Amino acid sequence: MTLAAGAMALSVTAATAARAQDILLSTAPDREQTIVDGARKEAQVVLYSAMIVNQALRPLTDAFMKKYPFVKMTFWRGDTEEIVDKLSAEERAHNVVADVVEGTGVGDLAVNAGLTQPYDTPLVAAMPERYRDPRGRWTYTRISYFSIAYNTRLVPPDQAPKTYDALLDPRWQGKLAWRVGTASGAPLFITAIRLSRGEDKAAAYLRKLAAQKMINFGSGSARTLVDRVIAGEFPIALNIFAHHPLISKAKGAPVDSQLIDPVPSTAGTMVVPKGVRHPFAAMLLVDFILSREGQQILADADYFPARSDVAPKDMLAAVIPARAGVPELFLSPDRLNQNTESSEKIFEDLFQ
Amino acid sequence: MKTCSSEDNRQRGGGDGLAQHVTVYSNHRPAALGLLAALPRMRISPLVVVLSAILLVLIVPPALFLLNVSLHETRPDGAFGAFTLRYYRGLFSERLFLSSLRNTLIYAFGSAAIAIAIGTAQALIVERTNTPGRKLAFFAAIISLGVPHILYVVAWLLLLGRAGPVNDAIQVLLRREQAIDVYSLWGMALIEGIGFVPLTFLLMSAVLRSMDASFEEAAIMAGAKPARAFWAVTLRMATPALCALALLFFARAFESFEVPALVGLAGNINVFTTTIYQAMHRTGMPSYGEAGAYSICLVGIVTVLLVWQSRLSRHAHRYQTITGKGFRPRIIDLGAWRYFTAAILVALFLVVTVIPVAMLVFTSFQPFYEGVSVAALARSSFENYRVLLGPGSFRDSITNTLILGAATATIVVPFTALCAWLVVRRVPGAALLDHLATLPLVFPALILSVAFLDVFVNMPVPLYGTVISVIIASSVRYMPFGMRYAYTGALQIHPDLESAATISGAPLGSLFRRIVLPLLAASLVSAWLVVFLLSVQVVALPLLLVGPGSEVMAVTLFELWQNGQVTELASMGVVWIALMTVVSTIFYMLTRHRQIVA
Repeated sequence: MTLAAGAMALSVTAATAARAQDILLSTAPDREQTIVDGARKEAQVVLYSAMIVNQALRPLTDAFMKKYPFVKMTFWRGDTEEIVDKLSAEERAHNVVADVVEGTGVGDLAVNAGLTQPYDTPLVAAMPERYRDPRGRWTYTRISYFSIAYNTRLVPPDQAPKTYDALLDPRWQGKLAWRVGTASGAPLFITAIRLSRGEDKAAAYLRKLAAQKMINFGSGSARTLVDRVIAGEFPIALNIFAHHPLISKAKGAPVDSQLIDPVPSTAGTMVVPKGVRHPFAAMLLVDFILSREGQQILADADYFPARSDVAPKDMLAAVIPARAGVPELFLSPDRLNQNTESSEKIFEDLFQ
Repeated sequence: MKTCSSEDNRQRGGGDGLAQHVTVYSNHRPAALGLLAALPRMRISPLVVVLSAILLVLIVPPALFLLNVSLHETRPDGAFGAFTLRYYRGLFSERLFLSSLRNTLIYAFGSAAIAIAIGTAQALIVERTNTPGRKLAFFAAIISLGVPHILYVVAWLLLLGRAGPVNDAIQVLLRREQAIDVYSLWGMALIEGIGFVPLTFLLMSAVLRSMDASFEEAAIMAGAKPARAFWAVTLRMATPALCALALLFFARAFESFEVPALVGLAGNINVFTTTIYQAMHRTGMPSYGEAGAYSICLVGIVTVLLVWQSRLSRHAHRYQTITGKGFRPRIIDLGAWRYFTAAILVALFLVVTVIPVAMLVFTSFQPFYEGVSVAALARSSFENYRVLLGPGSFRDSITNTLILGAATATIVVPFTALCAWLVVRRVPGAALLDHLATLPLVFPALILSVAFLDVFVNMPVPLYGTVISVIIASSVRYMPFGMRYAYTGALQIHPDLESAATISGAPLGSLFRRIVLPLLAASLVSAWLVVFLLSVQVVALPLLLVGPGSEVMAVTLFELWQNGQVTELASMGVVWIALMTVVSTIFYMLTRHRQIVA
């Protein structure tokens, strides 16, 4: 009986796969109406995302369900690595729960692992050239700038490190924390140093940095690490999302963000998994997140939208490298992931 | 038949410290045996074969997968590649292995020492002195069993964290800038140790109560002062039991996950379980092989510890004289000092239960957490509770958890009741059942999670990511606990009733259903509640198995912590503690009535 049920599940999957691909790549003039009608029947959509729950995922879900009350949207938040692990397990188990998957670097990781299928949406046209994938493997949702966070009670603003070399000052020994176990933590920092200085100079710099007795923080998201800085657990955190300290600072928390030349930046990407269970609803959600309305929600949630016609909050201007006059180092998902493994190796050799 | 039962005895020697009881009851002729003798002469009962087969199907695949992943390359699509020993070689050549081992040892030793020192002191006060209100300590301990361990850990991190009230107080009183750092090995040992005080207390009380007081009385008659009699006789007699308990806690600390993940990972301190967890969450693809090799090592260590523990506790019984005579241990009259010991009990209750829970209640009303202050109190609102009780994943999570607990307990309890009864009645081959049902004890929860993940993702039927998958895994995990309760219960039933039923011609099925089950009912209800309470609060078991739609409480709490949503975590914790207090109060009433606990 088990075998029969399994075989049935497999054949159903094969049948829906072909149908799903048609829906995902549809450019028909009635595409929008077809998607809405299909989603109405599916009545459900599941988003896996690395965005912060309170700030982004909850308002996004509320707005989506207000606009499309016939689709019940649920989300699960994890770091990029957790998301890709979960997706890979679901594919192997023939039980794909996620309909849309979003995160920094998720695109390249999931595509390389063969977990996704290409899709097409007219909304890509609204994105700047830089934030488009010509092969339709993923779309760009938001941009992230990385900076250091420091506790303003423990580190007076005029003494905060303002260059990478300033981090080597002996006074910061044992006081610098960074995230481990995630590509956007320590490996991204190391990649940025390697790409901006070249391998030899980077190696020399990183050896000196290792002498600073870095605190390897493995217990939560970048947001959690900033909260620990606010709580005074760590005076300084490297390579956190530049806007997080600003949000807390606006609420009166003793924390600030410091850009360092060059400012690493990455983009959040969105993919649709193979074997997606609700293809219509998936496309409806993709379109919603990329629409002005969806991007405005991200902007209101203090993210930097990928669309050029939606402006980020004024409060965040200070950490946009172009406006702050600090050079930026953009790491596309491909470029980031090409370097992650070797940077991770350097991390293990020097910092673990 | 005689040969068979003594062979049984030898086999089950390493069992669970209850072996001694078996000899006490061994001269009763098991009724079911007589019944089965009427069946064609078989060495093993078909019922035992069926039950053993079920257990094997549940236990063997995950164990096999674990061994396989540790010995094979894993391809990106999850299929096994070439045979390799490199994960084991990697283990011993890596610094991480040695530092994990060293940290695990210090952490396990520290937490066991703290739990046993405090728990034993509390048990002594309650069992052997005339301290007023001492019996209430049982109620306090049982209530605290309902509070998920992860909530204790969070509460202690809030209390002892740099922004917490303890550090504030130290800074004000001592004017010291460098305050205590809880994200350290001692912080881990302290939090784990205090968390296990209630359980140590309950177990030590049982040990103290079962000790024959006549030796101590003899010593006093011979002229020894009470203190000396206690030191030279009572404590010496309790030493093997104490050592066994220490080993049990030591093994538990080896497999614990909450404290290492919440405290250790934030302070860059790796122990075995967190190293495995991190291997599963690598940048790029998870390293199943490395996680597998670490897991096999950990299972090996826990097995050695548990076998050693069961040997010790078997010997522990040699120090006792189990007789039919009633004895009551001496109660020491403390005079005016009894108010001092009462104060100690109150202080323990405050530290172990009230203060951590109060901290959670406080945090649950906060918009964001920034320590305890008057300003913070002014910011209080019901916002977190509004989000919690509104539609969304929190409600699903609570419902799923209740389903998980109820289903696990409902599967485990009748199943183990049948197994335990067959074991007690020495049905041929039942010893195997006992061993099989106790076997999952050697698999730490996180490792079962890794192993079952492998099983479920390779099954043709889509079970991964469902509540059912968690129910299966946790049924296996809590089988040994159900077994213990049912076993003790079954021992107390005199076989005469069953003999009577057999003589009247009742078949085995209705004998079990109509005679044994009703007689076992009370201990089965206790077993049900214990399995329920344990299965709903463990983080590590469902951690890798659940997905959206199948979230359970403990994992949701863990993720809220990881995502930094501390205040929502606290409000969810408070609601959950309220629910579980009801469950544990029922448990207390039942056990008190049956004189198991108090």
